[in-house]
Amino acid sequence: MRLTLRALISHGRVARRMGLGPESRINMLRNILTGLVRHERIETTRVRADEVQFYAEKLIDYAKKGDTNEKSMKMADFWLTEKDLIPKLFKVLAPRFENQPSGYTRMARLPNRENLDRAAMAVIEYKGNPFPPLFPVKQDNELNLVNQLLKGYREEQAQLNHSGHKLVFWITRM
Amino acid sequence: MSLTGFVRFLRQSLQRLESDFIQAVGLDRSLGPALAVNGPSLLPQPNNSSEPSFLDSIFWMAVPKKRRTIEVNRCRRRNPNKMIKVKTNIEPCVQCGNLKLKHTLCGFCYEKIQKETSLIRRQIQNMEGRPLNTPAVETVVLYENETPGEADQGKRIVERSRKRPSWFNL
Repeated sequence: MRLTLRALISHGRVARRMGLGPESRINMLRNILTGLVRHERIETTRVRADEVQFYAEKLIDYAKKGDTNEKSMKMADFWLTEKDLIPKLFKVLAPRFENQPSGYTRMARLPNRENLDRAAMAVIEYKGNPFPPLFPVKQDNELNLVNQLLKGYREEQAQLNHSGHKLVFWITRM
Repeated sequence: MSLTGFVRFLRQSLQRLESDFIQAVGLDRSLGPALAVNGPSLLPQPNNSSEPSFLDSIFWMAVPKKRRTIEVNRCRRRNPNKMIKVKTNIEPCVQCGNLKLKHTLCGFCYEKIQKETSLIRRQIQNMEGRPLNTPAVETVVLYENETPGEADQGKRIVERSRKRPSWFNL
């Protein structure tokens, strides 16, 4: 017996509503996905980036099946509104992710937009893009004082070990 | 409106009940001997009041009984569920030292990356010429005094006329 008001309570519902309805949501995501395939790094609101991530990865899965696959071509034709990106998808993006089973996109959150709406923003990108990395690799500077001291310590230890080994070797030889 | 009609009906029924009750109990002084007639007014008429005044129709509205004292007001305005919550997830960025939220990218560092990305994109736009002209090859960005390596064969080369920034090492 249904005890709750289905329309008013949405506990546990995972499907998001965006735009004016399901068709509008798909159209919006199609536009964002086209932009992502063209520019390989996109800045949108967090919710849209989250939704698009799923579709972006599914598109790559279809593209991996190959150019000649009927279904893949139909999918690419539907999802990419700018038709000069279809060759790019099949010849650039699919071979790039040949050896990876999943996880072709990366999403990172950004500080809220500076407008009046203070929207929560996110940046979503295809891995392996030519742009500067979002998460810079940690580079330790050897010229720091601490690093120089540690280097000296390591060298001293190496010397001690080396001379210690020589001693042990000499004793065993004896 | 039905409200005023309803009020009027209630008042009239109450009065009717009251007069019936008084007659039943016998406290009514207006009736004399059964055949005696009291002049022009024969029977007790329910007094048809004129149009119910404005003040009667707001008979049952909710209204504060007492002034809320400043102590009570303070208790309501300053209790914790109305105060702004303190954020404990702010930390300094490792690279630049500006403050950022834990699960978010640093705004300053991202600004740098975004500017460089937009310059690269402008260069790409110049190379492509007209819109909708994407080539089906990978792209690699080379800075001043850099030559394409063996991994960059067959890729479109985008040249930027500046020194390679320290945070762009792939």
